[in-house]
Amino acid sequence: MTSSPKLIIAGAVVVVAATATVIATQGSASRDATRLSNTGRQQVEIRRVVIRSVPIRHGSLLAVRANRAMYRLDRTNAAPCFGIGPASDVGNLGAITCPRGGFPRAGQPVLDFSVYESTRHDVRDLSLFRIEGFAADGVAAVEFLRPNGSVAVKVPVAGNVYATSAVPEGPIAGFAAVDKAGKRMGQSP
Amino acid sequence: MRRIVFFVIALACAAVVVALGRPATASAGWCWPSCSGYGYLGPSTSTNNGCWYSSGEVCSYYGYWFNTGIAKTCYPGCNWNYQTTSMVLYGFENRERIRGRLTVKADTVYVRPSDVAMSGSLRAQTAWYSGPASQLNAAAIG
Repeated sequence: MTSSPKLIIAGAVVVVAATATVIATQGSASRDATRLSNTGRQQVEIRRVVIRSVPIRHGSLLAVRANRAMYRLDRTNAAPCFGIGPASDVGNLGAITCPRGGFPRAGQPVLDFSVYESTRHDVRDLSLFRIEGFAADGVAAVEFLRPNGSVAVKVPVAGNVYATSAVPEGPIAGFAAVDKAGKRMGQSP
Repeated sequence: MRRIVFFVIALACAAVVVALGRPATASAGWCWPSCSGYGYLGPSTSTNNGCWYSSGEVCSYYGYWFNTGIAKTCYPGCNWNYQTTSMVLYGFENRERIRGRLTVKADTVYVRPSDVAMSGSLRAQTAWYSGPASQLNAAAIG
């Protein structure tokens, strides 16, 4: 009988430790989905910014991938914008978005800039023309999905960005962010 | 001498008329539904001007556009990430293809023709893709 209290205490300690580990792990995963560690490899002057009402003069070049330059555009007293443009003309942005509420956020670990196209008038199927975008720390890859849910292509994320011009033919209906373990972290639509 | 002066004046007047008649491409623009309001883009919406899709799309006339953009609201509702349940494609089109980016967010986004590898005379477009109607303003500048 004297060993019972010790066993109970030991058991309680194990349960508390296990719970703490689970909470700590989930907290880390949650933080990973809301953090962008890549702060940029150089500051560049932004020319011909597409949002004329937003005074953006400088940006951080996060990466150059697949002939595309990918930027984080910090603003005073506002969440950063994100932009993308040709790698052959650094500082010249072709597209920009200033996500309301900021990026990344829990439930929105990917800011996709992929370009879609169609050559058919009769159906509203879109195929990929180019894949590119930004992803939170915890995202290891982005999967692009067929209308039946199967994975058409999986693009790795490195340095919080992903890009490729090697795209599959056929309709695409959305994408999903996956972590290192292959677990889906978020999906759109 | 008087004939020459008259001819020069007539020539100058003709040049002024031709110059004023040309579209001012540097400041040309297109807005839908107007330049200061929002419209509802759903599966049956159309500008009836020959867009890629006969319905579920609004598009500009053909022009040499600098960029196009949309401002989408939270209608009919947003989640806590400002995402709606309606998806739209915004970008450009010509007679061969329609191309652009997809979004469900209540945000303002912009894209230039070169960013979707298009050039020349294009239509700026915004097309309904899925979900209920989106409340948005679409515009393009040339």
